[in-house]
Amino acid sequence: MGENLVFNIQRYSLNDGEGIRTIVFLKGCPLRCPWCSNPESQSFEREVFRRKKLCINCNSKDIFSCGIAPNLCPTNAKSHIGDKMSIEEIVEEVKKDKVFYETTGGGVTISGGEPLSQGRFLVNLLKALKNENIHTAMETSGFGSFDTLDEASNYLDLILFDLKIMDREKAKTILNVDMDIVKENFQYLVKKDKKIIPRIPLIPGFTMDKQNIDDIISFVVKNNLKEVHMLPFHQYGSSKYEALGLEYKLIDLKPPNDEKIQEIKEYMEKYDLKVIIGG
Amino acid sequence: MNRIDTLKSKLFKNKREISLERALLYTEAYEKYREEPVIIKRARATENILNNIEIHIDDDELIVGSRVVKPRSGILSPEMSPYWFLEEIDTIHNRPQDPFYISKEDKAIYRNKLYPYWKGNSLKDYVDKKIPEDLKEGMELGIIKLNQTDKGQGHIIPDFGALIEDGLQAKVDLVQEKLKKNPNNLFLQANLITLKATQNYIKRYEKLALEMAQQEIDSTRKEELELIAKVCGNIAEKAPRNFHEAVQLFWLVNICLQYESNASSISSGRFDQYMYPIFKKSLEEGMELSFIEEILKCLWIKMNEVVLLRSVDSAKYFAGFPTGYTIILGGVDKYGKDATNELSLLILDTYKDIKLPQPNLGARVHKNSDEEFLQKVAETIKLGTGMPQLFNDEIIIPGFLNRGISLEDARDYAVVGCVELSIPGKTYGLHDIALFNLLRVFELTLKRDCQDVKSFDEFLKILKGNISKYIVKMVEGSNIVDKAHGDFAPTPLLSTFIDGCLEKGIDVSNGGAKYNFSGVQGIGIANLSDSLYVLKKAVFEEEKLTIEELVDILNNNYENNEFLRQAFINKYPKYGNDVDDVDLLGKEILSYYCKEVEKYKNIREGFFQPGSYTVSAHIPLGEQVGATPDGRLAKEQLADGGLSPMVGRDQEGPTAVLKTVSKLDNRLTTNGSLLNVKFHPSSLETHEGLRKFIGYIKAFVKLKVQHVQFNIVSADLLRQAQKNPENFKDLVIRVAGYSAIFVDLNEDIQNDIINRTEHVL
Repeated sequence: MGENLVFNIQRYSLNDGEGIRTIVFLKGCPLRCPWCSNPESQSFEREVFRRKKLCINCNSKDIFSCGIAPNLCPTNAKSHIGDKMSIEEIVEEVKKDKVFYETTGGGVTISGGEPLSQGRFLVNLLKALKNENIHTAMETSGFGSFDTLDEASNYLDLILFDLKIMDREKAKTILNVDMDIVKENFQYLVKKDKKIIPRIPLIPGFTMDKQNIDDIISFVVKNNLKEVHMLPFHQYGSSKYEALGLEYKLIDLKPPNDEKIQEIKEYMEKYDLKVIIGG
Repeated sequence: MNRIDTLKSKLFKNKREISLERALLYTEAYEKYREEPVIIKRARATENILNNIEIHIDDDELIVGSRVVKPRSGILSPEMSPYWFLEEIDTIHNRPQDPFYISKEDKAIYRNKLYPYWKGNSLKDYVDKKIPEDLKEGMELGIIKLNQTDKGQGHIIPDFGALIEDGLQAKVDLVQEKLKKNPNNLFLQANLITLKATQNYIKRYEKLALEMAQQEIDSTRKEELELIAKVCGNIAEKAPRNFHEAVQLFWLVNICLQYESNASSISSGRFDQYMYPIFKKSLEEGMELSFIEEILKCLWIKMNEVVLLRSVDSAKYFAGFPTGYTIILGGVDKYGKDATNELSLLILDTYKDIKLPQPNLGARVHKNSDEEFLQKVAETIKLGTGMPQLFNDEIIIPGFLNRGISLEDARDYAVVGCVELSIPGKTYGLHDIALFNLLRVFELTLKRDCQDVKSFDEFLKILKGNISKYIVKMVEGSNIVDKAHGDFAPTPLLSTFIDGCLEKGIDVSNGGAKYNFSGVQGIGIANLSDSLYVLKKAVFEEEKLTIEELVDILNNNYENNEFLRQAFINKYPKYGNDVDDVDLLGKEILSYYCKEVEKYKNIREGFFQPGSYTVSAHIPLGEQVGATPDGRLAKEQLADGGLSPMVGRDQEGPTAVLKTVSKLDNRLTTNGSLLNVKFHPSSLETHEGLRKFIGYIKAFVKLKVQHVQFNIVSADLLRQAQKNPENFKDLVIRVAGYSAIFVDLNEDIQNDIINRTEHVL
């Protein structure tokens, strides 16, 4: 660790905070959610990515046995994931869409991986963005150092806070996360009067059972929040597992159907929550 | 079915035919008046058409006036060129782009009567004789493409405001008054002949409507026909008294202008502005809003009845027979205040029920645009027909000031044809006179002139020298075509609606207009930026290969060098991704082209002005260019639109594309430029999505990009349409600057549309 790698900067993002936004994805995450759609975000190390579809077999019959260096692969089928970038370079890049932030009320969203794992780098990045008068948001699991969170939140206008599995034991075994810390962090931000939107991944077999939904609702309501986002499971990330040479355990899992999503939405709305699907 | 649906379905019921009636009437008059001067002959030809062509009122019509009895039929103007049609006469019914049907009998008439009469005596002959050898070389090399060498000039906006306010008789009176002082002025004589013929043409509709009313048993329709007769009877002379009469006059004069020159893009200008006073008056006098809406929809359908018959070659450049009934809404008034009104909004509303390629709707936007207007604009764009396209007052008005146009006139600008910028009622702009293939100049420079070049700067210098050299030739060629139209095909009727002509007593084609430009398009800027960047890096900085090796590889169209081609595509940043190093190369060359072009005067005391748009010409112009260092293969298309990135090379999304284009000096391309941005429909589905989209439009205004149009379509739907055209006859799709019916386009262009990068949520 200590490298602070960026694995993507995505402009024209419409679903991660208000307005048109640029998302800065920081590499590395302590969680291991089985449904993760950005598996390249998990490791803190630089990785090699192999996209079979882009390969023109110029050097080898099979991209997985191809020895070409990623920087020489002509189609970028084989590429490095994770770039070392300075804060200045990141700010320079995200400033390119400043005019769109101004006309849409957008800004920059820091995502991951888990941004809190980046420590000082995260805090300094947010500070630099605020110096540029850019609206800032962060997507987090809430699982990270209290000090980092506390300091980072001073420079955050919006926090998109995941609530995945509320049960302590299950969260530990399935996600590798300590829910006591997550809940504490959440409540601290509420107390600090930060704008928080809880985000609930809807993963069949993991997060959609009545008990979990009820637990989430009672936690949200107890903390006096009025709006939640639901993010239904999708398979867009599945090919990335292959590209990383990782096994994807949920390859056969079907996305939840619209009726089910609607049912949960309406159930939550009974508690006076504004529910947005897809963020 | 209601009136509008019935009329709409009738549009596409018949296959497109060719009618020789106009050509025969024109030729008959030319023969009869053969001893007269050209302008009188032309006037007599128009007169003969207007007095004798078969007219027709369809059962359900409220607004009348058709150029030919069967909607969407083509008409010929062999006086412009009899040649291309003779060559294509037996294949035109099954050509891939815009086929037309012609009967055996008419083929014989064409072969035996029309062709022999015009052979050797057409505008085309006139032009061809005058083109010198060295200019032909530039044309044959595929650098210069001259337009309007075999058809009417068009590309103009008549002063419809004055027509609606004063009526036709006021024009007649004015001409007669001028003739008293200057009885021998042939131009004024020609004005009078054509104006009177126009009045007579309108009276013929009055008479026909009355005759039909007498025969009509259905009492509702009888009343309608009597109303049509009353309307036509009044507007043949007097100023229109209400909105219905105003629209009817507008349309019949449009038809007459079409007969005169059979030209593309006699455009409609700021319809929401000049129609507003009479719209308001009619509302105040109690005309039902629903009736006004119906009138408007009838007019929109009428605009789709007129299609242009083009040669195979021309149809490639202008696919989907764009007619150019371009209407521009909103924008600032002459004092700089927002000019949006209820009619602007109503036009957007009525368009929703029509969704056809004409009118070609555009909206002018600026930093104080009305929010309700922007909202409606966004909702209309969401329909997915690409309309309205957007024009940015914040850069276009300053651009015009830089061309010596008064502030008041600059604020009144409108759009001709696809995206050409023009001051309505005051400009003869030859907006579409020539195309200049910048990428082809680059290719020739690289392959022909650069064996010993040692640095990138040296290369740029030689490239610029070549651009200058060929611009001189393009200017010469444009002036030849310009003069040919003035000498051979003056348009006296059109001239009566252009400010300056009557005052000077000079036809619009001879310099009568207040503003006189010649617009020439620099094309290929995206591919050129990408190619220059690869050349700069790979050859001069990284020294990966020599110029000779590069030329060799390009000459072999990257054969056995796919590795290198892919590396050129993927390892070097590309135009459209907001990367300064690449984008600024494009800016440098485009600015150079513009600065060179604007040095030259045309033959009407006006100046050349640059533009950058391709319509669908990026495909045929691409066929002229071999493989290029941007990884483009030989004959592959160029980037579409004019300023859009190369297909599939813009990977940072629509904000980056807009940023890239904003780096060009957009003040200089005063003839117009074109940027296509494709949005996936899902990004506009929700209220929130639409709000972000309006924010995107506001950023477009702030970034001072001239033009943008949006394709809101899914690739899947287009593929379905490709497979089952019969189910998608009314699917309107943008093809660079105008709309066409998707299934009317040939497969190459369909594929091009499908391939354009989708910016999916």
